Amino acid sequence: MFERFSKDARTAVQGAVVVAERERSGTIDTRHVLVTLAEGTGQVPAALRTAGLDPAQVAAQARESIRAGDALDGEALAAVGIDLDAVRERTDAVFGEGALDRAGRKDGRRRKHLPFTSDAKKSLELALREAVRLKDRGIESGHLLLGMIRADSPARRLLEQAGADVGELRSAVEQELRTA
Amino acid sequence: MTQDTLIAGATGDDPQQGLRAVRALRELAERLETLQVRRARGLGWSWEQIAAELGVTKQAAHKKHGKV
Repeated sequence: MFERFSKDARTAVQGAVVVAERERSGTIDTRHVLVTLAEGTGQVPAALRTAGLDPAQVAAQARESIRAGDALDGEALAAVGIDLDAVRERTDAVFGEGALDRAGRKDGRRRKHLPFTSDAKKSLELALREAVRLKDRGIESGHLLLGMIRADSPARRLLEQAGADVGELRSAVEQELRTA
Repeated sequence: MTQDTLIAGATGDDPQQGLRAVRALRELAERLETLQVRRARGLGWSWEQIAAELGVTKQAAHKKHGKV
């Protein structure tokens, strides 16, 4: 499937991996993809603006949602006076780098690749279907966004909370794809 | 959200912030327990010693961490 991805779509998927690593997420879901799409350039930020959303704010809300969904919630711990970064520094020194994050996973082992959630995989498949539907040859970043709003997903819920009208957003993306 | 407003939230009367803090504390405690128990076992501590420090029974400690 990935051979049909354009450069910007590949960059977005790779960017989602970087976001997940930075936010210390155990898995990669549509919200991570949304962060890179919204923070990038091209079809998605333009479509978001057309639909009346601020791309930077969408990205910030997605990051916030990722952090709040993490059981080891640094902001919540800071609120009761615990500096998670300081704890992590100590556990890295005593138990090895990344030990605190690995301790939360069921297998407890170091993982080479973060897995994509089934929701994220589904959105990539739907992106392909959107490209087929629109008779586009390759999958571009705009198709990725269409894929994640086609069915219910954490990213779509986030966009709706941000005030997006899904139908309006879809038209905006299709418009961007046509002018690309 | 600034840290000040978060602190106000968690120690104040907003259940959502308070519960979020409780969940994070529990998660942190669980992970530290996993790491400490694993290390203690590696250093040759018995389940009895570990259980005594954790304030649980030997059986409970072994049941929870026996596979590590």
